[in-house]
Amino acid sequence: MKLKSSQRIAGFTLSEMMVGLSLSSIVLAAAVTSGVTLQKSFNAVDNYFATHMQQIRIIDYLNRDVNRGLIVTTSVDLQSVTVAVPNYVIQSGDPEAIANPSLIGTPRTPTITYTSSGLQVNYSPSPSTVVYSISGTSILRTENGVVTTIASSTDQLVPQTTDVELTNTEYTTSSVTFMPIFTSAGSIAERTGTSLYATSYLRNRRRG
Amino acid sequence: MKQFANKKSEQANVLLCVLCTILIVSVIGGNVLFNCVTRFNVASSQVRGWKESLYAAEAGGDIAYAEVRKTVLDPSHAFSGWTNSGNSYSNSPVTFGRDNLTTSGTADVFYYDRSGNPWYRIRAKGTAPVLGLNRVTMDDRMGVGTRGDSLLRKIDFNYDHFVATYGPNGDGLSKALVPVSRPQVTRRIELIAAPITPFEAAIKCSSTFYGLGDAAMIDSYNSQNGPYYFCATSPADPHYGDSRSGNIEIGSAVATIRGMVYGNLATNGGTIVRSYQITGTIDNNVPFTIPPFSLPADLPMAQPSPTAITGNVTINPPVAGTPSSPVFYLVSSFTGNLTINQFGSAQTYVAIHTTNDITGTIDVKPGVRAQIYFDGNVNVKARDLNNESWIAGNLQFYGISPTDPTTTQTIAIGPPGNFAATFYAPSADLTLTGNPDITGAVICKTFYGNGNTSWHYDRSLDPIGDAVDYRIVSYVEDIR
Repeated sequence: MKLKSSQRIAGFTLSEMMVGLSLSSIVLAAAVTSGVTLQKSFNAVDNYFATHMQQIRIIDYLNRDVNRGLIVTTSVDLQSVTVAVPNYVIQSGDPEAIANPSLIGTPRTPTITYTSSGLQVNYSPSPSTVVYSISGTSILRTENGVVTTIASSTDQLVPQTTDVELTNTEYTTSSVTFMPIFTSAGSIAERTGTSLYATSYLRNRRRG
Repeated sequence: MKQFANKKSEQANVLLCVLCTILIVSVIGGNVLFNCVTRFNVASSQVRGWKESLYAAEAGGDIAYAEVRKTVLDPSHAFSGWTNSGNSYSNSPVTFGRDNLTTSGTADVFYYDRSGNPWYRIRAKGTAPVLGLNRVTMDDRMGVGTRGDSLLRKIDFNYDHFVATYGPNGDGLSKALVPVSRPQVTRRIELIAAPITPFEAAIKCSSTFYGLGDAAMIDSYNSQNGPYYFCATSPADPHYGDSRSGNIEIGSAVATIRGMVYGNLATNGGTIVRSYQITGTIDNNVPFTIPPFSLPADLPMAQPSPTAITGNVTINPPVAGTPSSPVFYLVSSFTGNLTINQFGSAQTYVAIHTTNDITGTIDVKPGVRAQIYFDGNVNVKARDLNNESWIAGNLQFYGISPTDPTTTQTIAIGPPGNFAATFYAPSADLTLTGNPDITGAVICKTFYGNGNTSWHYDRSLDPIGDAVDYRIVSYVEDIR
């Protein structure tokens, strides 16, 4: 009885095994390939989104400083931006702080002076200088010599800013592009397709 | 039995395979969700909240700015409902918008200019909620050892970091650990609202402009440096810098510019044909309006006499007065010849309100600054305006806007003669004929002048006069 039963549940024939193994191999190969591809695709999308977030961060940093800026200048290649911003908070080493250290960290009360171009609001004798620049794969923000990396990506982030100055107003137009790690033919189009644009007005140069 | 055992074993294998598959799929799904949620929180909630909090702060600044403007345009309703403490006004938080943004602000006087006009410092705070639970943190993934978003967008997940670190007013006082009811972003801005004085340009009109003659000229000088002389074409002259501020501002597209303009030109959509006759910048995209003018509410009590200027009338002020409290006269007519004398040797300030037209003459002696407010029209010859100091700021005319906006106020100045004076009449049509030599400034509704006029704007006029409006001249964000 046992022998009969064993024979009845005996395995496959060789040909069945060969066919089964072949099919299994194909299915397994497809699954592995799909998995790897999906993982690559996910990484690419994840990377794209992460870099996109850095684009937004660069634009937000720039807009914040341009909004409160007094003077904006851009380099010839448009990739470096210098913004003079009011020195709003008294810092250690400032004349007021030397005279009265308890004033460190407090906002300044502006002074009004008569100049050849009219009345002028001053928060301090000299404004702070903020510089945006590219260093390798990083975008740097330097305020009075203090360097902060505000974005860093191997996707070749490139910000460009144009400063437009009119009679009584001034604004900047900025764009940030990057090169995604997944690209098809035509790298220029790939970069252009990632463009993020922003326009920001200098609030201190508004029309009267 | 063996068969039965084999079947059980197969079932277990299947269960194991299913569990493993679920585990793998769950891990993949969890990883995807983790990344997606983190990015979603940043992109949809945190970035949005950060931007919206600035909108809220700027809305709060605009609300305070509107109240500051009311101090000139609608004094009886300025800062109505605000809490007043000395020179400082503050309002309760206002909630608005679909995302329940909140804003509040304070406005305090921190400076008075030479004319006694107050300057306001506006501090506004805007708060926007950040969606998501307060355990959600920020996406700082960037490089090794670097931080990204948390340096820029300071989100209060559990406590108000600003109050805890810098105090509610940012001055280091009254620091406290204040919990927030839900994650939020708060941004703070500071604006400076400066008074707009009446005479900031040589000619400013809110509507159409025609003028002047083909051989006319508009330039500028500064009377604080001495009498006028022409130097607008002499860069080496020490006063050259004051000579090219003969600015014209036109609030419409109807702008026919003739003559030479040593200054800037601004229109609202105009097409300037003779641009080579304008030495400064031309901007054809400057819309503006000039609010109607009302009699200042803070004028002192009127002197008992004179009450009308008919025949020859001489005013000898009993005191010198001050810019903010001049010696004031209320007259019902101005058809005669008026002379205003100085009080001793003191700089004397006189204000006259005439409730009718001005058709007479006026002689303002040196050392006197006269402000003439008129309800009606002006129809005089240039020689009738005798300002002996020849400093335009010493003879100021203010046209009170008619209560009926359809009523037209007119100012007509004809030949012969020259004059030094200023006109601030935002509701008036001003017509200038002849070829006078003028020192001063004009603000009106429409301007027409066909003569070969020599017009000299006095740059010392810029800070002179009562505020007619306010503008924001400074913007700072407290980024801490």
